[in-house]
Amino acid sequence: MFEPRIVGFLCNWCSYAGADKAARAYPPNVNVVRVMCSGRVDPQFILKAYKAGADGVLVLACHPGDCHYKEGNYKALARHRILLRVLAEHGIESARCRFDYVSASEGDRFIEIITEMTDAVRALGKRS
Amino acid sequence: MRVKIGVYFCNCGGNISGKVDSELVRRALETGCDMGYFKTCELMCSDDGKAYLRDEIAAEKPDRIVIAACSPREHENTFMRVLSGAGMNPYLMQMVNIREQVAWVTPDVRLASLKAAALIKGAVKRVAFHKPLEMKSIEMSPDVMVIGAGPAGLKAALTIAQTGRKVTLVEKRAVIGGQPVLYEEVFPNLQCAPCMLEPMLDEILHGDYAKNIEILTLSEVVELYGFYGNFIAKIRKTPRYADMNQCIGCGECIGLCPVDVKNEFNNGLDSRKAISLSFAGALPNVPFIDMAACLRARGEDCRLCDEACPLGGGIILYDDTEEIVERRMGAVIVAVGASLYDAGLISNLGLGRLPDVYTSFEFERLLSSTGPTGGQLLTRSGRTPRSIAIIHCVGSLDSKHKEYCSGICCQYAFKFNLMVGRKLPDTQIHHLHKELVYPGKEEYFLYKRAKENPNAVFIQYKDIDTLCVTEAEDGIMIVNSSIKADMVVLCPAVVPSKDNGKLNETLGTTVDMFGFFEELHATLDPVMAKVRGIYIAGACQSPMSIQQAITQGMATAGYALSGIVGGKRLEIEPITASVDADRCSGCRVCALVCPYKAIGFDEQNKKSSVNEVLCEGCGSCVAACPAGAINGNHFTNDAILAEIEGVLACLNQG
Repeated sequence: MFEPRIVGFLCNWCSYAGADKAARAYPPNVNVVRVMCSGRVDPQFILKAYKAGADGVLVLACHPGDCHYKEGNYKALARHRILLRVLAEHGIESARCRFDYVSASEGDRFIEIITEMTDAVRALGKRS
Repeated sequence: MRVKIGVYFCNCGGNISGKVDSELVRRALETGCDMGYFKTCELMCSDDGKAYLRDEIAAEKPDRIVIAACSPREHENTFMRVLSGAGMNPYLMQMVNIREQVAWVTPDVRLASLKAAALIKGAVKRVAFHKPLEMKSIEMSPDVMVIGAGPAGLKAALTIAQTGRKVTLVEKRAVIGGQPVLYEEVFPNLQCAPCMLEPMLDEILHGDYAKNIEILTLSEVVELYGFYGNFIAKIRKTPRYADMNQCIGCGECIGLCPVDVKNEFNNGLDSRKAISLSFAGALPNVPFIDMAACLRARGEDCRLCDEACPLGGGIILYDDTEEIVERRMGAVIVAVGASLYDAGLISNLGLGRLPDVYTSFEFERLLSSTGPTGGQLLTRSGRTPRSIAIIHCVGSLDSKHKEYCSGICCQYAFKFNLMVGRKLPDTQIHHLHKELVYPGKEEYFLYKRAKENPNAVFIQYKDIDTLCVTEAEDGIMIVNSSIKADMVVLCPAVVPSKDNGKLNETLGTTVDMFGFFEELHATLDPVMAKVRGIYIAGACQSPMSIQQAITQGMATAGYALSGIVGGKRLEIEPITASVDADRCSGCRVCALVCPYKAIGFDEQNKKSSVNEVLCEGCGSCVAACPAGAINGNHFTNDAILAEIEGVLACLNQG
């Protein structure tokens, strides 16, 4: 079975802490790069990940209103929406680039997102 | 020269080694990254483990270290301290989380080991780009400016002054004490407000620490620049026309003044002279001249007040002029209070149209023994009211006006009930309310007492627009077509002062959707403004009781005292952003995205620059800069791009 390679950019304060609280087994396909804030995720990081062979990219942020830096998650969301359009032009499906929110207490939600993302990218197959 | 990168794999007492095969990891790392050596350790965070790491640093002399262990949220600081202790720059280390995010969640040993190897590979590639970073420090001023001399500001000023710090207390009005000094009694215990506040005011003016407090009345901040630890404020002092230091406050000058003007301290319910002491008991006990009203402003050479002064000339200062003074401080506390919603906007309630419809402020003054009637409750025509209607929730809980609950109105309305009951035991009191609130350990009892008043009736209404106050015969009003009332008291929503917007602009802070000063975090940092070093206390942040305002005043003092300490320097965290001026095009996108107002602009060179004191290191500007001219320390593009490459190098292969 095809095992996708996914890079997950997690903000230090909410989603990384949420990932630390995941207490059940989940697919090992997402490798995490920790950043202080989702607002730090430069679109070039995402492009770099695809270039280096990633089949999918995940950006996880604090929930709206919860950003440690007040509004970095809103900037990350805005950038993600624009980036999806650019990716589409290069034939990269939107399911390969997911933006979502995980709080510092949502270990289960983190597992859910990782599982869904892995399944979705696996279904799309290797990025050509 | 090649950097020597040492990788330490922590077994975590079997927590990691039980699920991740260190040998498999080691082999996977032999290719595709520049690892110098690989060693395992049983329990890195234990005292033995830390000693082992210290000895290793001395023996191996690595240029960079990767520690594959638990979450960096758990022990990054621990290992950074070990590095510092061993004489190695603590930022030359990268932690890899192979416990919470690998060993504990990946049952298959081979998959867990390969995932761990990929993450470590990312760290090895990343750490090569780490630079040694140093804490910087700058001088700071331990002094504080407090804006607003109400309960919150006074408490903050006094607390800070007691530690020997200098406080500049800036008050817009001629008197200190804020709103409550105008009240006879305050809830929840119906304590005499002047008796409660005057000792504090006296301590501020004449107490042991008064020398540390500079009080600037009739003054406002017109400019604030600098940043946390080093603010400079320009303050405009309008003239008082009386010598604050020499005047004895006898009031002889007032009686002879020929000019009468409406007394704003009694909401215009009576008049005062052009030279005035505000109200009985006002502090500082020094009169001021309202120059707009004084005959001298019209060119007349009236000197009656000066001539009346028993101390002779030189106390009344007709030549007093406006002055701009400059003060330096490390922190600023904003405690400018609030005001009441304009109940005149709800015209069916009759405020301004019917003479005996009052706002709660006006009613407080009618109840006060220093008020226009000396505390006697009388209608405008001098009658004793036999029935009073108190309308709660005026403009509160209403999407057409202010949607929030102002919180304090029910309490003072219950207080009115009891005070009226004592003064006029036969007078009927009608409480018309949308909701009734009484949270807290004392508040319900005040409601209970008000409800037990045999002359009190509580009536709930749904919509303020359906309430109608009309005039019947002999000055008697009819509320809601059935209730007769000689007086109607409105309890309007508590709203930001009208000067909040201007002050907010001057300070560079932010206000919320209602116009109150906005806090950094509603739950965790409710008294910190969004600008570092500026704190907010009292009703300028949200409607609140005196007790809450005092607590917030203390809280702001706590921040100011613990954050800026005399003789100490302000330490600056090195994980900040910095602008490469050669690449900066001056587009200022960075300043737009910065949530901390940490990015300044040099108008001459047309370049942006980051203030390291204010920067929190989130990296939003780094990601936003279209020229790639901003560097995020420790989270540089080079480091993150290298890490991305590393984590993808061997994932799930083999």
